[in-house]
Amino acid sequence: MTLAELHNAVHPRLETLALYVTGDLPWRLRWRTGVHLKYCAGCEQQVLLFRSARMEFKHEAETQTLTAFEAIVDWTRLEREMLGNIAVGLAAARCIEKVGRTRALFSKGAFATALLALFIAGWATHIPKEQTAHLTSSLRSLFGLERAQATGTVLQTTQDGIAVRAQGATLTIMHPRSAVVSVSGASAVEARYVDEETGQVTITNVYGQ
Amino acid sequence: MGWAALLAAILCGAAQADDQWLRVGFARDSPVLLVSFSLGPTTARVRGMSMALDLHASLALRNTGSKTISGLTLRVEAQDLTPSGRGSVTVPSLSVQPGEVFPVRIDMELLRPFSVAKSEGALVQVSLDCALFNDLSAYGPDSLGSRRALTVYELEARRDRRYLATLLQTKRLAQLREELNFGLPDFSPQQLGLELLHEPRAISRREQPVNVGAVSFPSSPVQTMSGAARVAGNEVRGPQIDVRNTSQKIVSSIDMGWIVRDDRGRDFVAGSVPTRMQLGPVQTATMSEPGTLRFSRPTGQPMVIDALMAFVSDVEFADGKLWIPSRTDIDEATNDPMLRRALGTSPEQQRLAEIYRRKGITGLAEELHRLN
Repeated sequence: MTLAELHNAVHPRLETLALYVTGDLPWRLRWRTGVHLKYCAGCEQQVLLFRSARMEFKHEAETQTLTAFEAIVDWTRLEREMLGNIAVGLAAARCIEKVGRTRALFSKGAFATALLALFIAGWATHIPKEQTAHLTSSLRSLFGLERAQATGTVLQTTQDGIAVRAQGATLTIMHPRSAVVSVSGASAVEARYVDEETGQVTITNVYGQ
Repeated sequence: MGWAALLAAILCGAAQADDQWLRVGFARDSPVLLVSFSLGPTTARVRGMSMALDLHASLALRNTGSKTISGLTLRVEAQDLTPSGRGSVTVPSLSVQPGEVFPVRIDMELLRPFSVAKSEGALVQVSLDCALFNDLSAYGPDSLGSRRALTVYELEARRDRRYLATLLQTKRLAQLREELNFGLPDFSPQQLGLELLHEPRAISRREQPVNVGAVSFPSSPVQTMSGAARVAGNEVRGPQIDVRNTSQKIVSSIDMGWIVRDDRGRDFVAGSVPTRMQLGPVQTATMSEPGTLRFSRPTGQPMVIDALMAFVSDVEFADGKLWIPSRTDIDEATNDPMLRRALGTSPEQQRLAEIYRRKGITGLAEELHRLN
């Protein structure tokens, strides 16, 4: 069998020939198809038909595109429409952005209010009243709302003891609730009770200067 | 977190050395010396911007002198408050023989800001201020005026022991029981909330001038004449009273007692304030207090002041002798039984009432026999 007889024995399929025309075959298949076409007049005729049809389609497509462009004659109107669409888009974007910002501000405000409420509750339950009063007084003095007072010594009684407060510290001498409390000097307070354990009368005093 | 760490570090330190919290010291020639000292369950906790330390000290002291001790005052000083504030614990009505050991308890709380750095030495120091002996002599620096107070307590104790012993001997048991509150605990002791302020205060519109009434003891060497004060709600400001020396001796100090009447008509002995002054026979003087006294009920509710009265609680003469009102003086001073009881209740009567409550008439008789 000669080489021409071999090539004529197996013809490429039509899809392969179509792809050969468009140049979309892998290089090895394209080479084999090209060799076949040199010896096969029928397949070569088919390839020529494909090429002709392709050229015709291409020409037709170019003609239609030009026709579509030729239809657009009002460029000013087109520009207005485009600018209008852009403006609408920007306005919508701004609107969405504003809604998001308000929501963010609201949630931040709520969080800050909750934190403030927690702080106030914590202060009220944990900070002694006298320290709050001292702080308030200091702030009022700082902002000129109150004339600064001389920091004096304070003697006071509580249910559990008598206390002297000076220089920011407080000394409380404890006593039972049955103790009788009274003033014992120009700057002294006393508490008197019978010690349950020792049976002794005990008199405690605190003094300020 | 930082405070908690600081507190933990302090507590660890406390476990190592209790004497960093509290130190008890007596001079070498002191008539009382420390036998033992134990610091009970000491706790430290965070309170606001400060650290609160609870200190419970039990001291055992020995009378190392040759005289019987009738009473003593221990000075309590916290380094954070020195020199502006201090405290004391007084134990009157003692009869501690030479060589005997007696207990003294001190329960206190120290509130110190975290911003204050701890300096060298213990946070609280306890030392002897004055010890009074049964011959009315005393030992100690007496920086708190303790000698005078201890002497008054001792004189009152002797007066009340004599009075109760007389009631016992003359079989006036009903009167004795009444004096000792029928052996019942005092369910409604005079409870007052007090605040003594020495800060300058502006004159308030609510402030009203009031006259100060007088409660007079017939045998008093100093008589009250007239007085005035300013009252604003629950505050008494600048009370003053004129006094006259009706004795033939020079007076060196007067202890003026104050009684406040609330808006419900109840009288409370608010206390007494000793003032040093030289007052010759027939001379007059004005005693005044510059501070402000704020009263409240035990619940903390302000107690509205309706009236103010004064009485001479005790008088010290230039020769060192002291006058105190007798039982007859107290009986004749007022018709109000509650006020009479408040004026007459001395520390010793309080102690003897407790003995009567626990041991009955036999226990009371034994105690009076031991001391008289």
